[in-house]
Amino acid sequence: MMETILQLVALTAVILGTFFSVVGMVGFVRLPDVYTRLHAVGKVGVFGVVLLLIAAAAWTPLGWGRAILLIVLLMVAGPVTAHALASAAFRIGLHLKQPVRDDLRDV
Amino acid sequence: MLTTILLTAVYLSLFIHMGLIAVAVWRVWRGENVVDRLIGVDVVSTLFVAVLVLLALINRDSIYIDVALALAALGFISTLALAKYVADERMF
Repeated sequence: MMETILQLVALTAVILGTFFSVVGMVGFVRLPDVYTRLHAVGKVGVFGVVLLLIAAAAWTPLGWGRAILLIVLLMVAGPVTAHALASAAFRIGLHLKQPVRDDLRDV
Repeated sequence: MLTTILLTAVYLSLFIHMGLIAVAVWRVWRGENVVDRLIGVDVVSTLFVAVLVLLALINRDSIYIDVALALAALGFISTLALAKYVADERMF
């Protein structure tokens, strides 16, 4: 019974994580400029891999300790990397395409 | 029965992730600017972590998770260092 519940949790998490990874990569290919692509790629790190890790913790003899360590590392690393890359893009002078409003235009 | 369905889903997810890595490598090769290519390198490293987790699910072995932990930490540090290099034109 417990085995079946864990397998169902793993199956749902694998399907959802793959869906988020595919959506993030479609955004990476289709979106127009660096900042929007960064926004799409964030989904791969924070949702895709974390859901796969939940599946691995439920179905492999791994235990939740290392899985939670890796989940925390990914959730800290994702926003920090995205922030550093967006800051680098702004510093070398890349601009938004079709902005509705650009508060940093004259900075 | 459910084990077969789960294993099929994991193998399918593994092939999908291989295709996503190919797409990301293509974006690194034909990027528009340097930050675009850096985003591609970062997402390739993230997807390799996902592939290692899927291998752990297939083999039901937790040694792959340790490799994934090291790869995630190295990818994080290298992306931060390269972003700082692009922004300031010096590493330290």
